[in-house]
Amino acid sequence: MARKPAPPPAAKAAKKGAGPGTNKIVVLMVLAALVPFSLPTVTIVFFTMLPTLAAWASEKGSNKYAWLCVGGVNFAGVIPYLFTLWFGVHTLDEAFNMLSDGDVLLWAYGASAFGWLLYTGMPPMVAAWLKFTTEHRISALQAAQKKLIEEWGDEVAKKQG
Amino acid sequence: MADAAAEARTEETVVKPAGPPGVLRDRFVIRSNQSLPELSTPNAEAFSAEDKRDPNRALFALICRPELPPRVTMMRALKGVQSPGLCHLVEWGPMNWPPAGRQCMTVIYERPGGPRLMSSLKGEMRRVDEYDLTRKVIEPLASAVKELISRGITHRAIRPTNMFFMDGAGERIALGDCVTTPPAFDQPAVFETIEAGMANPVARGGGTYSDDLYSLGATMLFIMLGRNPVAHMDDATILRHKIQQGSYATLVGDERLPLPMIEVLKGLLCDDPDQRWDIESLDLWLQGRRLSPIQARVEKRGARGFPFQGHEYFNCRELAQAMARNWEAAIPPVLEGKVELWLRRAVEDKERAAAVAEVVRLAITTPTDKRVASDLMLCQVLILLDPTAPIRYKGFNAMPDGFGSALAAVVGRREDPRLIVEMILREVPKLWFEARKTYVPDNSLMEGNFRELKGYLSQSGMGFGLERCLYEMNDALPCQSPLVGEEYVVELRELLPALNSAAGKRSDPKQWPIDRHVAAFMGARARSDIDRNLTQLNEPEPARALMALINLFAVFQYRLGPETMPGLAGWIGGLITPVVHSFHSREKRRELEKEVPRLVRRGSVVEIYNLLENAEAKEKDSSEFAWAQAQYQAAEDEIKRVQSDEDEREKEADRIGKQTAAVTGIVIGLVSVTVVIILKVL
Repeated sequence: MARKPAPPPAAKAAKKGAGPGTNKIVVLMVLAALVPFSLPTVTIVFFTMLPTLAAWASEKGSNKYAWLCVGGVNFAGVIPYLFTLWFGVHTLDEAFNMLSDGDVLLWAYGASAFGWLLYTGMPPMVAAWLKFTTEHRISALQAAQKKLIEEWGDEVAKKQG
Repeated sequence: MADAAAEARTEETVVKPAGPPGVLRDRFVIRSNQSLPELSTPNAEAFSAEDKRDPNRALFALICRPELPPRVTMMRALKGVQSPGLCHLVEWGPMNWPPAGRQCMTVIYERPGGPRLMSSLKGEMRRVDEYDLTRKVIEPLASAVKELISRGITHRAIRPTNMFFMDGAGERIALGDCVTTPPAFDQPAVFETIEAGMANPVARGGGTYSDDLYSLGATMLFIMLGRNPVAHMDDATILRHKIQQGSYATLVGDERLPLPMIEVLKGLLCDDPDQRWDIESLDLWLQGRRLSPIQARVEKRGARGFPFQGHEYFNCRELAQAMARNWEAAIPPVLEGKVELWLRRAVEDKERAAAVAEVVRLAITTPTDKRVASDLMLCQVLILLDPTAPIRYKGFNAMPDGFGSALAAVVGRREDPRLIVEMILREVPKLWFEARKTYVPDNSLMEGNFRELKGYLSQSGMGFGLERCLYEMNDALPCQSPLVGEEYVVELRELLPALNSAAGKRSDPKQWPIDRHVAAFMGARARSDIDRNLTQLNEPEPARALMALINLFAVFQYRLGPETMPGLAGWIGGLITPVVHSFHSREKRRELEKEVPRLVRRGSVVEIYNLLENAEAKEKDSSEFAWAQAQYQAAEDEIKRVQSDEDEREKEADRIGKQTAAVTGIVIGLVSVTVVIILKVL
């Protein structure tokens, strides 16, 4: 049985570079390589950013914006402690000490709760705003129609033949 | 007949209790309490009249009956004419006549110095011998007829009971009134030619000078004999005898007449209009020239009579006359071919028999209504049997030029005009014109007129129909509309002032200043063709119809005046709402409503028309209205669209809300990082 000829090396490279999944793997490998050097940071980030992970995992559908909102606010609650870690003692023990301190998690999870509040509160607010602008528009149009009737009579409302 | 009424009247002036007098043209006072029966005609009562400028002038007035159309054209022609053989017509015109409570046509004549020549046709008068007859009667009357011929008019009322001695000595005789009734309306059959005698009195038409000369001949005979030679006969018998024996033989009978008189009477009473003496022949006779005597041409007599309704008829003319008088009974024998057979065998007139057969065949084979076809067939057969007779149709006999006065009388008496309408619509006169053997320009003109009348009758709208025919056929008939009230409107220039006067008296403010009579009157009297405007009067849309009306009135005011008519302008001003509302713009409407009262005060229909019929403003109004409609519709669509997209909006709000929250979260994160960095660095 004849063997299938191997594809040329250039073609192989092109095939590798073309796949979107390849980049993600590369990024993950780089991050994984960095883990041993920043394990305390990773530990803090992992435990404090769990609500963001939960937001990402829990949301369905195409408009998945919850993790961005919750994540942003969640990260705002975590970042002061990360700076304390980076500019203090950057060890795993210190990371666990910080985690065992209730303030870190309280700020992190409290911030994420605020993020959730923001995320759930914003759509009704926008809807209310849109409704307000729509009603204003309708009122303006109806006022214009009334003025036309005053000027031209009821027959102006009849459709043109 | 007509003279019987005159006979009953007393000879003296009847003075009644004083009533308000009538005043004609602010000059002639007509005493309504001083009637003059001896000067009255069968259809016009005479009253004493006075000229304010010359109270000593002896005058009398004849008051026309409102239901009969007077001969206004004749009045115009005869006013002021001074002829020894004619009563002098001094003045004429419509006048408010208190006893009638309305305007009546009034004619003022110079009062004769002597009595009527013959007060009744059944009575007797002093005989005039042949020498005096020529000098006192024939010469002035011939001169009068000549005067009439020179003016292109006919008298049609020449009879001894309508002649007066103009002086107390009885030396001058003159013809009396001929304008207060339709032509020959008061004439007994004895003074009319056979053809005119066959026609209904109201439909005899203006006729020709030859008809006047025939009447003159009969009148001469009466004067010469001093009595009516056929007093024992009624009109129908006289006509029958004239048809059977000829006019001369019927009237003269066994009377012994001087030879010269036989000649002139035979010439004037000749039944053949072509052979009858004309005025030149009479002139020659008066000058002493003796003309070759006329041999009476007798209608061809059948070898055997045609039995009809219990009588036997021996010639075509008398059979046609009998059939015309018994219309329904005449149709079967004609349809059965008996008339054709009689013509072929008894009269031996194969040509006429063939023509009758063809007419009958067409009537039988026609696919249209059999009843109508039979009537038209009989009419045609009667024309074939007697081509010179009037148009005879279902008992109505009319000369073609007599239709107008007949219709006017029918309308005036509130009678049923359907028969005349039917004749015009079925083109009955056309059958008569087609049977003429020689070309007569007047006939072509009349035929064309009848065609036009048919066109008017076939349109039922205002300005057309029977009313239009009425005014088209009667040039001088006053407008019969109740809108003009008591005014006697004969000419178009008199119409708007009459409506202007009537404006204050109207009871219904919504009533338009036009009705079928006014519209038809305008259509007939306007010199230009206004039929298009009249058609617009019948538009279902009130604004368009009203604009057509204002247009007509404005044109007439502009052309004929008067310059100011506040009454009529106010009348129109009160009706213009539909026209104002034809503008869409409320601002324009307010502007017009403000402007019209000012023009009404000025009494100008022309300016009202110009204000309302502004094409540029209308165009602007229409285009702006269309634009406004489009704007309104666009707004409507927008509102609907906005209101119907609620679900979509909710989804949109959810998406935007989430996106906003996400951006806000990221911004909070970034700001926090920045703040922390700044704090750490500082």
